[in-house]
Amino acid sequence: MRFIFKFPDIGEGISEGKILEWYVKKGQRVQSGEHLVKMETDKVVADIPSPKSGTIAVCFGNVGDIVYVEDPLVEIEIENVSPQEAQKIAEEKPAPPKQESLEEKGFGVVGTLEVAGEGAYLPASYEGRMQEENDKKHAKKVLATPVARAMAKELGVDINHVKGSGPQNRVTKKDIEEHFSRKEKPAPIEKSEVIIEAKELIEAVEISQVRKSIARRMTISKQTAPHMSIFEEVEISQLVSIREEHKEIFAKKGIKLTYLPFIIKAVVQALIRHKALNSSFDIEKGQILYKHYYNIGIAVDAPDGLVVPVIRNADTLSIFAMAQAIGEITEKARSRKLTLDDMKDSTFTITNYGSIAGLYAVPIINYPEVAILGVGRIHQKPIVKKGQMCVGNILPLSMSVDHRAVDGGETSRFLQEIIDGLTNPVSLLLS
Amino acid sequence: MDYDLLIVGAGPAGYVAGIRAGQLGLKAAIIEKGHLGGMCLNWGCIPTKSLLESARLYKKIKKAEDFGIDGIFPKTIFFNWQKAIFRTRRIVDRLSKGISMLLEKNGVTLIQGTGEIASPTCVIVERRMISAPNIFLATGSKPKNLDLPVPKEMMLEIEDLFQLEILPESIVIVGNGSTAVELCQFFAMIGKQVNLVSEEETILPALDPYLSDFAEKKLRSMGVGIFLKTKITGYDKEGVLCDEQKIACQKILNSQEREAILPFSTIPIDKKDGFVKVNGHLQTNYSSIFAIGDINGIQTLAHVASAQALHAVNYIKGIDSPLDYCCCPLNMYSEPEMAQAGLTEPQLKKAKVEYKITEFPLSANAKAMIEGSTEGILRLLSERKYGEVLGVQIIAPHATDMISEAVAIMQMEGTIYDVAKVMHAHPTTSEIFLEAGWAAIDKALHL
Repeated sequence: MRFIFKFPDIGEGISEGKILEWYVKKGQRVQSGEHLVKMETDKVVADIPSPKSGTIAVCFGNVGDIVYVEDPLVEIEIENVSPQEAQKIAEEKPAPPKQESLEEKGFGVVGTLEVAGEGAYLPASYEGRMQEENDKKHAKKVLATPVARAMAKELGVDINHVKGSGPQNRVTKKDIEEHFSRKEKPAPIEKSEVIIEAKELIEAVEISQVRKSIARRMTISKQTAPHMSIFEEVEISQLVSIREEHKEIFAKKGIKLTYLPFIIKAVVQALIRHKALNSSFDIEKGQILYKHYYNIGIAVDAPDGLVVPVIRNADTLSIFAMAQAIGEITEKARSRKLTLDDMKDSTFTITNYGSIAGLYAVPIINYPEVAILGVGRIHQKPIVKKGQMCVGNILPLSMSVDHRAVDGGETSRFLQEIIDGLTNPVSLLLS
Repeated sequence: MDYDLLIVGAGPAGYVAGIRAGQLGLKAAIIEKGHLGGMCLNWGCIPTKSLLESARLYKKIKKAEDFGIDGIFPKTIFFNWQKAIFRTRRIVDRLSKGISMLLEKNGVTLIQGTGEIASPTCVIVERRMISAPNIFLATGSKPKNLDLPVPKEMMLEIEDLFQLEILPESIVIVGNGSTAVELCQFFAMIGKQVNLVSEEETILPALDPYLSDFAEKKLRSMGVGIFLKTKITGYDKEGVLCDEQKIACQKILNSQEREAILPFSTIPIDKKDGFVKVNGHLQTNYSSIFAIGDINGIQTLAHVASAQALHAVNYIKGIDSPLDYCCCPLNMYSEPEMAQAGLTEPQLKKAKVEYKITEFPLSANAKAMIEGSTEGILRLLSERKYGEVLGVQIIAPHATDMISEAVAIMQMEGTIYDVAKVMHAHPTTSEIFLEAGWAAIDKALHL
């Protein structure tokens, strides 16, 4: 049995990818889970595993080609075929051009949708996101009803440029009528003048995939989780001197010692005692999921926009190991070398905007987590200590929580633990 | 929340919604006070068609001699109501068990009792509060109450019919529409005296006048008295009185047009003409409450109810599956069967479409001759410019099955050229499509 494996939705709002390297070729046997191809997306470089065991019959696309989600990647002959048959597959003529294959297999590949996720429910409506690409890929006849074809011919409409609204994006007579009436209508004069003016003053740029992903996730978080925020100042003179003492030693080993490892340490210790802050809230299932692992997401200002790589099992890491891990992932983020694995499964997020500027912020929770800690700019200011005015090193902290999952009291106690840890870093290191 | 979806009513809307919800991984429960399958399975589509089949066979057996079977004498055979009912119940039971099994298989909980809507997300069943983010009202419809100046014991509701031990020798069916016509034919085929009384002007208002006229003539030829624009005003020992006119009957069967069965609700649910008002996605004035099936009055047909159920469940899961009623088939399990899909001639006229009607009679079809039923016709209504098929009407044995071909063609915006191009096996009754296609383009082959 032939099986067409389509480029799956790998999450993060990714809709297309570039083929970087093929790990398999025609006629090669693959096991389920074995890597097929290395794809580069706007956000990550990911190895795509095979969903089935079998023999590769066709690899669609060459290195450097752009492949859209739902486009076929490989055709696999499923196990239980005779060696002769497998051989025959390997000896077949090269695969026809990609467009043709898509048209031809439109109906036959419904079964492949088991790996295509949500859209699998109604293949007739969801399959073949070809339509938007009609303009580029009309080497073969576009799907249309007989009346639509006759109508297009008569009205002189190029049916390949019409967006279909029927099942499988079939072009219907309504689509032709609408397309024709749009074409017929001259653009209003005032409007075109505005556009000319606007062109000089405004630059229209396509929204990048990363930006779209950020927009989507931020909107979901803000719309789903009722945010509650709290702010506090921590006097960290002890921490400042400890860091001063040790940063040279770290530097000699090639590690930059910042305040972040200490902050993560303090956060993790507080999380261990306040499990509600290390959870996610699933209202549909009516469950709160407490995580017994501590993966801390670090919001990084990467060239293309915000990414959140994860420091895994932060509770098991020393300050040194933590500093090393932070150095590695921030470097990967800035050079766009993060993989999806580097960004998965965080349980709590820290955003360190203070390293650029800003004392306080109202950070947006990295949903479905329930809390985020914002770290402001460390600065000196006069404080009162034992009745005396002196110079203090102040670290401003801002925190947002999902009030559905966590209440104010718990949040304040959690924050106080972080403050205690940072005020008295020795206790942090000894614990 | 106790469930993801609560469905009130287990008819063709409710139980299909339950199955689909289960398939999509939703935790669903159906609240039903009576039997699984609703009106359709228990007192409607299924049992009436089963009885009609018995009557049809009874009628056909009388013609056994024509088919080369001797020894059957029409005067010695008789219709055994009890056995026909027994067979019907067996079919109903089997289908009912099938639904039960399907619900179980898909993890749908069945709650016995009457559901009362307490809030947009809560239903009370037998003093128990059950909550879900989505509620489907699928309680169906029933014939409007018939308030006639006659003794109660003369009156029958359709449910009562199946409980009768002996059938009345004479009956008046009150109402119009396909059920009324089917019931008239049933009683006529088994040799009872039947009269149809309706206050309306036509017997089948939803069908093309061609079909409605044919049905009226057919009923009259079967000995059914038809009294349109007529009201029952009284009764006497022998039957009912309609002003001056007297119609003999022992029983009166209510087959009036239908009205919604509305569940009790403590929150106000908007209505329109007695049915629950819904938007294009079948949502009521509460976005969490949907009304699917007969209760919304869009069409009182089981297949529409099921299609609406699928749409609504898909919708709550974020799957877009547009609902299109324009190609919805309308079936009549009459003798011969009648079916219609798409637009009727008056509708085409109203829409000012330039159309043509192509007809092919069943009398020229080999399979129909073989079956001994050549009464019927196929009518193809197509627009003149592109030849798109816009309406199809069939009178023929199996018309109710054959109409699906017309629906498929129309749904894909097919033309008369496509109809003519589809190869049909010979001999089949469905060859009338091919013939009508050719007739529409040029000339029929076998005429």
